[in-house]
Amino acid sequence: MSLLRRLRHLFRRQQAEAEMAEEMRFHLEQRAADYRADGLPDRDAQYAAQRRFGNTGLLQEHARDTWGWGWLERSANDLRLAVRQLVANPSFSVLAILTLALGIGANTAIFSTFQTVLYKPLPYPNADTVVRVYRATSQKPRGNIAPADFLEFKRATHAVGDVAAYTPANASLSEPGNPAEMAYAARCSANLFGIFGVSPQLGRSFLLEEESPGRDRVVILSQRVWLKRYNGDRDIVGRTVRIDGEPHKVIGVMPERFNDWRHLGMIDFFRPLAFTPEQAADRRDPLLRVVLRRDPARSFAEVTGFVTEFGARLAKEFPDPNAESNWWAVPLQSSLAGNTNRPMFNMMFALSALVLLIACSNLANLLLARTMGRAREFAVRGALGASRIQLLRPLIAESLLLAVAGGIGSLFIVAWFGDVMAVRSTGDNGESVIMEFGWPVFGWALLAALVTAVAFGLAPALFALRLDLNSTLKSGGRGTVGGSGHQRFRQYLIVGQFAVAMILLAAAGVNICGLQELNNRRIGWTSDHLITGTILLPAATYPDVEKIAAFHRLALERLRALPGVASVGISSFTPFFTWQDNRKFVVGGRDLPARGHEPAAIVNSVSAGYFETYGTRVLAGRAFDERDTAEAPKVFIVSELTARALFGRANPIGQRIAQAVEGVPQWGEVVGVVADVEPAITDLNLAPSQVYQPMAQEPRRQNEIAVRTSGVSPSMLVDTIRTTVAQLDADLPVHQLQHADLTVERANYQTAVGRDIFASMAVLGLGLAALGIYGVIARTMAQRTGEFAIRLALGATLGNITRIVLASGVKLAVAGSILGLLGSIAVCRGLAALNPGMRMNGTPVLVFATLLLIAVALLACWIPARRAGKVDAMSALRAE
Amino acid sequence: MAVKTELLPGTLDLLVLRVLSRGELHGWGITNKLEQLSKSALQVDEGSLYPSLYRMEDKGWIEAEWRMTENNRRAKYYALTRSGRKQLEAEQKLWDRTSSIIAMVLESA
Repeated sequence: MSLLRRLRHLFRRQQAEAEMAEEMRFHLEQRAADYRADGLPDRDAQYAAQRRFGNTGLLQEHARDTWGWGWLERSANDLRLAVRQLVANPSFSVLAILTLALGIGANTAIFSTFQTVLYKPLPYPNADTVVRVYRATSQKPRGNIAPADFLEFKRATHAVGDVAAYTPANASLSEPGNPAEMAYAARCSANLFGIFGVSPQLGRSFLLEEESPGRDRVVILSQRVWLKRYNGDRDIVGRTVRIDGEPHKVIGVMPERFNDWRHLGMIDFFRPLAFTPEQAADRRDPLLRVVLRRDPARSFAEVTGFVTEFGARLAKEFPDPNAESNWWAVPLQSSLAGNTNRPMFNMMFALSALVLLIACSNLANLLLARTMGRAREFAVRGALGASRIQLLRPLIAESLLLAVAGGIGSLFIVAWFGDVMAVRSTGDNGESVIMEFGWPVFGWALLAALVTAVAFGLAPALFALRLDLNSTLKSGGRGTVGGSGHQRFRQYLIVGQFAVAMILLAAAGVNICGLQELNNRRIGWTSDHLITGTILLPAATYPDVEKIAAFHRLALERLRALPGVASVGISSFTPFFTWQDNRKFVVGGRDLPARGHEPAAIVNSVSAGYFETYGTRVLAGRAFDERDTAEAPKVFIVSELTARALFGRANPIGQRIAQAVEGVPQWGEVVGVVADVEPAITDLNLAPSQVYQPMAQEPRRQNEIAVRTSGVSPSMLVDTIRTTVAQLDADLPVHQLQHADLTVERANYQTAVGRDIFASMAVLGLGLAALGIYGVIARTMAQRTGEFAIRLALGATLGNITRIVLASGVKLAVAGSILGLLGSIAVCRGLAALNPGMRMNGTPVLVFATLLLIAVALLACWIPARRAGKVDAMSALRAE
Repeated sequence: MAVKTELLPGTLDLLVLRVLSRGELHGWGITNKLEQLSKSALQVDEGSLYPSLYRMEDKGWIEAEWRMTENNRRAKYYALTRSGRKQLEAEQKLWDRTSSIIAMVLESA
């Protein structure tokens, strides 16, 4: 009832005001008439009535209070006043809003990343009941699971839920009239889609009986491939495509949400997971990623308990590969890519908060300067009896307004950041990275804005309260009073800004240098005039070693014959990526080491011409050549490190070593020693032992071809190489056929995205800090105009004055940098620890960052310094 | 003129409600009536009367209506509502109790 009345008052307030005035007028007239009747003259009667009635305006105000909108009305008034103040000072307002928008924008953009990667649920109906199961070993805490273990796990899990597995791998996709393309394919259990609660948008899901070899030639496409390669043709279901050269029937298309980049977004199509009897008995090859949908009646703790117990049982029953492994499970959401990188996200988030901090202290500085400029106004209002709250209200309203405007501005920055990320971090398969831009992000921006307004708007406002009335009024009307308290406060802010900027610069610096080193790391090989590409020979069309070896022979022959080609090599791995083939070795003529303690090395099968093509130096002995055929005696080439590890100081050439192939030792002679190579990606194991064997003696289906050109730009040869390969086999796509530099850079693109984020934050922080020091120095110098005039009049030179101003700024910058150095060292250490595969040397970065900060401070103070020196002494003194 | 007496705090609402319980009146009428009934011993302060009226209107004890006076002037007439009548009874009882207690104490002390 009462609220209704208040609302009515709100909407009919003009009428209500008029009625109130009329009612009071009526009262006054009646009273005057009364007095007239008592014999007073007309005018006196009116005055007497008015006197008796009292202050009409005050009365009306009290009445308005009763209606309950007084508080709101005053706030609206404050806001109106604040808007007018901001519009009246456009340069201040634009600067403040822009500063805030950048600061809040940087922070909220990282928040949106955080939110998307870590918290936004996957778009599967069952997402919250699915867990990911890992088998942890000392090398791999999030290891995958071998087929036999998975099958046993599946049988054991009936009680707690439903289990499925999938395993991604490269595969070629082709159909008549369309060039073959390398795709990222997954083989998965028939019930995988059911576990997530997602069914195909077209066609059907896999049947259980399709999980057997021979019946597994069916494929379900992702929406992305369906749109990209098949133009969204609905008749695709039922058609036949060739995968790795074998015909497969398309039976369905998954919906778009299955393309979520955080989970299965990179997978182009799915095939049933069908085990041959040998595979089904395999307990060694951990190739399956296993998910479990728990029975809703079971708790998460019950499920993890079950998984751990199963792992323990497995370790007991099959101790050989499992003795030192244990099983564990996490909610599906926590298994997403970003979670393993969480500390890095935290670091980014913390740094973005530092950017916001710089922006905030700039705002505080700007507001403080303004408040001090209006010191006289505050003093007068205080003298006239305005209460503290009444003095503070317009100031708070102003900073609130600025913060909200800045918050809205920040949303544009967040949206822009999302667009950039969508383009910049898109994966090789075109899965699109979409950052959250919803209510949580809006909420965060608003929250950041409000906290900013309260924390950094209030500080300058409190200085206004501490103004000494007398001295302010006496100080002759120039708004700027040099109260030492707020001067010092502003200098602290500048020192703080530079300290924070130092941390941001250091973080950006080590990232830039680290990635630079990574992309240009050419240890043991060179990349000029080098084209590389990947070819996968499908098992269906290359069933035996003879077929594979024949392909290698032909390919080498044809590619070598191309004009402009200096040398060609085929290998199972490139020197710049990790070699995924770890084997144990024993040395001839020595006692066998204990089983399981043989020296390990990673093995690369390489063709003749490999070392020449990559520019890997042969240090002793010879490289592989045409002699090393399948029939010839087995030979090895070892890297320098391997030679030292296996043979110590003895001459490695002619030594005999053996590698275990399917449990049988395979002996061979060491014929050469080559330089060590290091991968140019973030690899934890930078310099392990490396062993090479001739490709012809163990032909592999995974092929990296490398072509070094001479006299021709590598890019000119790309198409020729592609057609040469297609002439050998039309179903063979050459993946990532390009200059090796580009392949390395592409492999490190996620690190590059991180570097760009760190670098933008540093640039932003530096810019804002420069703006801050400029503002403060310029204002302080303006206050000291009189002093400079006197100095000039007494014979100081322009140089003297400039030096005073520059020194006052640089002092602050140096103090800030030194303070920031401590934090920077911590951040550099942290980043280096978080990126063990990168070389992040902080020292040169810190030196450079300190110099840069001082240079920026000098530059920012230069303008006010010049201005101070050009003071016209006479006019300045006259103005005193 | 008789000696003017200040109203006890909180009693104005009670007096206004009592006056209105006899029939509707405008603000000026209420002032007059109170002065008349108190034989001019009470002088009502307009600065308190109108806020009190608005407050009671807001609470729903009284309701207002614009009408013509006998002299053909527009005036805002206040009338007691049902809840105002209840409020009057309650306040009257409270007042009776309080005054009798005070009287008792004053007499016996």
